[in-house]
Amino acid sequence: MFVWRHLILAGLVMLLCACSSDSSNGPQTVTNPDTSQDNDSGDFVYAGPAARTDDVQQFRLNLWGNIIDDNRCGQCHSVEGGQAPYFARKDDVNEAYGAINSLVDLEVPEQSALVQKFNGGHFCWEVSNSVCAEVLTRWISDWADAATGAVTVVELTPPVIQEPGESKSFPQSNNAFATTVYPLLEQYCSDCHAEDAPFPQSPYFASSDVSAAYKAAQSRINLATPANSRLVVRLGEEFHNCWSNCSDDAAAMLAEIENFANGISAVGVNPDHVHSKALSLFDGLIASSGGRNEDNLIALYQFKTGSGSTAFDTSGIEPSMHLTLTGDYQWVGGWGITLSDGKAQAKVEDSRKLHELITATGEYSIEAWVAPNNVTQEGPARIISYSAGNNARNVTLGQTLYNYDFMHRSSTTDANGEPALSTADADEVLQATLQHVVATFDSVHGRRLFVNGELVASDEIEAGGLADWDNSYAFLLGSETSNEHRWRGVIRLAAVYNRALTEEQIIQNFEANVGERFLLLFSVSHLVDVPDAYVVFEVSQFDNYAYLFSEPFFVSLDDEADFSGIPVQGLRIGMNGNLANKGQAYVNMDLVLDSDNADEQGRIALSDIGTVIELDKGAGLDEFYLVFDRLGDESYPIIEAMPQAPNQTASAEEQSDIGIKTFDEINASMARMTSIDPTQVSDTFDRIKQQLPVVEDIQTFLASQQVGISQLAIEYCNRLVEDTARRSVYFPALDFSAPAGPASDPASAFYDPDVLTEPLIANMVGSGLDHDPDTATIKVELEQLVDELTRCGASCDAERTKTVSKAVCASLLASATTLLQ
Amino acid sequence: MKSRCCHVFVIFLVLLVAQPLSAAVCQSPGVVTNQHRDQAKRLFQRLAGVPPSATQLQEMADALACDDAGFAVNAANIALEDKHFYNVTLKNMVTPWTNEEQTVFAPLNDYTATVIGMVRDDKDFREILYGNYLYIGQGVSNLPAYSTTDNRHYEELEARHINLKDHLVETQQYYLPAHATAGVMTTRAAARAFFYAGTNRAMLRFTLMNHLCRDLEQVKDVTRPPDRIRQDVSRSPGGDSRQFLNNCLGCHAGMDPLAQAYAYYQYEYDSENDPDAQNGYIDYTEGQVQPKYLINDSNFPHGYVTQDDSWSNYWREGINQHLGWSDTLPGNGHGQGAKSMGRELAHSDAFAECQVKKVFRTVCLRKPVNSADRNRLSTMVDDFVQQHNYRLKPVFADAGLYCMEGQ
Repeated sequence: MFVWRHLILAGLVMLLCACSSDSSNGPQTVTNPDTSQDNDSGDFVYAGPAARTDDVQQFRLNLWGNIIDDNRCGQCHSVEGGQAPYFARKDDVNEAYGAINSLVDLEVPEQSALVQKFNGGHFCWEVSNSVCAEVLTRWISDWADAATGAVTVVELTPPVIQEPGESKSFPQSNNAFATTVYPLLEQYCSDCHAEDAPFPQSPYFASSDVSAAYKAAQSRINLATPANSRLVVRLGEEFHNCWSNCSDDAAAMLAEIENFANGISAVGVNPDHVHSKALSLFDGLIASSGGRNEDNLIALYQFKTGSGSTAFDTSGIEPSMHLTLTGDYQWVGGWGITLSDGKAQAKVEDSRKLHELITATGEYSIEAWVAPNNVTQEGPARIISYSAGNNARNVTLGQTLYNYDFMHRSSTTDANGEPALSTADADEVLQATLQHVVATFDSVHGRRLFVNGELVASDEIEAGGLADWDNSYAFLLGSETSNEHRWRGVIRLAAVYNRALTEEQIIQNFEANVGERFLLLFSVSHLVDVPDAYVVFEVSQFDNYAYLFSEPFFVSLDDEADFSGIPVQGLRIGMNGNLANKGQAYVNMDLVLDSDNADEQGRIALSDIGTVIELDKGAGLDEFYLVFDRLGDESYPIIEAMPQAPNQTASAEEQSDIGIKTFDEINASMARMTSIDPTQVSDTFDRIKQQLPVVEDIQTFLASQQVGISQLAIEYCNRLVEDTARRSVYFPALDFSAPAGPASDPASAFYDPDVLTEPLIANMVGSGLDHDPDTATIKVELEQLVDELTRCGASCDAERTKTVSKAVCASLLASATTLLQ
Repeated sequence: MKSRCCHVFVIFLVLLVAQPLSAAVCQSPGVVTNQHRDQAKRLFQRLAGVPPSATQLQEMADALACDDAGFAVNAANIALEDKHFYNVTLKNMVTPWTNEEQTVFAPLNDYTATVIGMVRDDKDFREILYGNYLYIGQGVSNLPAYSTTDNRHYEELEARHINLKDHLVETQQYYLPAHATAGVMTTRAAARAFFYAGTNRAMLRFTLMNHLCRDLEQVKDVTRPPDRIRQDVSRSPGGDSRQFLNNCLGCHAGMDPLAQAYAYYQYEYDSENDPDAQNGYIDYTEGQVQPKYLINDSNFPHGYVTQDDSWSNYWREGINQHLGWSDTLPGNGHGQGAKSMGRELAHSDAFAECQVKKVFRTVCLRKPVNSADRNRLSTMVDDFVQQHNYRLKPVFADAGLYCMEGQ
């Protein structure tokens, strides 16, 4: 199937190439020469003998046709060029095949001598030798895939045996820490990172107990590379609560950690530990050399160079659409770029190949492995775009919060690619983590979006034609050409195809994963009675800050090895002489190895869990080893030290011994003080209860809360005074039928104001306790209020008596006598 | 003589039946002073939230004035018999535990009512995390029946200011298999708040906050093994694995293996017609892991895949071993299901200490601030465990008496 696809593509691209070869405007796609038909355009036409075998034919289609041009290998390594070996000779593909066989390794294409030549500095037709090596590897891989039709299985070969190196360990005594790092921590971090802080934040490395602080700080200090210490990075790079200037603060912290670290001597790995031999990342075997489907690929960025300002298009389809990196960007270890406020843009003339090749097929796919920095970007923020400005594009893959957006110009959308196809808000498909995203378009399905191999959005509008695509636009990553709508995140791969990838192809590429992966064979033959025994991990650089360890298995490279009953317990990963203090996902491992349980490749899986381990000195510099609590008969269980008990001695700020009542307490208190059933005031209470105090802290009291309390008090007093039976019990001496004249008027209901004030004080204040409000003072205040309210002249009727009673009642009920407790 | 015998017998009976609450008789009455009355008033208001009646005040002052050793607790018990202790003080202490917003304005619900009932009935308070209890209203006319699909039963109790002390009755969580009940964690209100959507981690987080007095920030430990962290947790948020290693890992390493205990629970509701999930119900799918445990599996394909409701307490090692985990429980930090996991939490020292702290805060209106407070708190925790057999009501009395003016 794949062979046929290659042939179809080859023919198609050949036609395009022939059509545009004499055009200075169009792109030139260099592809396999077609010998099946005459060509009168002046281009090279193969007139030699036919390929003798299928393999020669695959060589011719996938490699030979790509290298015979005069601007490539054909310039020298041909009969005309005169530089042996003649593997790029044009006259006889069978002879070329014979010459190249010793120069290629179809099992491990990147190890082919032809590829290694470029790595050694051989002439390259691109600006970077690594790009030529990569492109050539791709062509050889295509040949290998076509020839074998099977996924290559990495053959395990033993690494060079080496012992783990020396390292520094934290001393038992905290004396040095107490005089170097600790003073800074105590002075500037103890407001949060201490047990007795007002809002304690773990870890408590600024504890007032230096011993506890020392234990907590150890996981934040890197003795081998002090600059990588979390205590430094948090200040210098993450600007975390600096006390003056972040760079100065980070420098101060670094200086103290260096002082501390310099006083510690490096020692070898604990000899008691049951440990494997050691390896660095690049001692491993390359585990990721294929598996992706790249039929119809027309642009590919894998960001393997890791430095410089150019991201190379390694698709092999000319013209190479290299991207120029500008603005704020970083290369990511293990392949990729981080765009913080930058972009990667191709030239318009190079970008034109997208227009030519995509409009020719009427369909395309954009594929990317991306890790958005956050889920707050919008605009849409441009991840990948082929456009000319904020409102003109052929296609854009963007981000709006949790959504991917697919904008695409066609006869059924506008010049800005709208309406866009977006993932559903509720699905929150986009996450701030590494994701595989594919946007496809074809005339049958229209636009479709796939994330991590799953279809997440598809067009509901009719698929239009691409006749309106503009060939003057530029291809770019992370931004609009206007430098607006910047996207922030990591791109670890980007690719463009001039066919819509099928769902199977998308899943294949998702499962192939991204980045450089290695198989690390940790020798354990010295620990178990099994020849050529290894514990193998797949290891890759996960991002700029960590490695990913996954899929561990046990294997003996001796096919005859026969073993059983070998216990494996408590596996830990060591780095640069120390056990990693975070990410030890295999400490609970408890297995027994038996060769009868091995798979057909002799492997015994140890775990299906993967873990990330913090990067220290850098890929290639960090040295790994494994430590076991028990492996076979060797045993040395690692026991964690007893952590320091939390410190509880510090005193908190003095707090008020008096509080205020909260909403329900106020309501219940008023009900009790007035003898009114609270259900009678439910409407008022439900309406205002959220305005009443919620916490007892007296310092939180607000004027608005007093307003709510007054409203509630008025309602209770209103109910009390309007309830004839209840008021007669509550105010037995008050004549509510009498007018509310002044106290001097014998006919007034308040001639003796005690008839009102005494019951109120008795029910609401209390019986004159030492800590109750002074009842005599309250009484004077209430009588003054009565006096003022009864200066009503002719309107002092009996109704006024009720009004005055309610008002005086409410004034006392809403006061601090109710509120305080 | 006969009359005197009867009188003594009656007193004996009263003492026997009414212990430890109320009606105890002082053998050495003292002189009641204004200080006693002041203390009584404050004690009553702090416990019941309302002023005492004249009778209550006098009885409490008498009890405080009594010279019998330890008799003062009877003063507190008078306040604890007032309905407002249940309807106001306890209700408002518990209500914020029952919702994610931690609002005290949430309506009365089965979580709150169950805690109130268990305090009233002097249950072993640890069982709020693993017992098979449910308290419902009874003896109230025209009260909607308890329902697993709405909260009207409790809202009506609250709206009518029904005396919860008198009208709550104990029953069981009949809507779940007995072995799947886990105290208040498996009440409808808790399910609506913490099993609603999400990943069920909220149930663990809020249980820690409400019953061990620790948010995840306080139990964060990046040195725990990450082998049980699920696939939905990105190991490189925003492309920066430092965020995971130094932040996410610290909480998830311990949280995920504990929260696995809830793998079979879900709060089901009709998202179309009931978007606020008012009429949902707790669902338990024994043997079948809820899909929410397996979502976003591509965030980190090498992460842990939940197979069942087995849980492990990784915080028994590392800095969190100081939370004081029980070494007498079966499983030694491992088990299956929410019930045994709730027991693991409830039998910790941190649980006991937390309950006492919450009571102290409720009654004294402040946190412990000095060594005297801390010493007293420590004694109260010891008493809660050893003297009161994990009954919470006496802790209120202890706190009230301590914070009573002039103590």
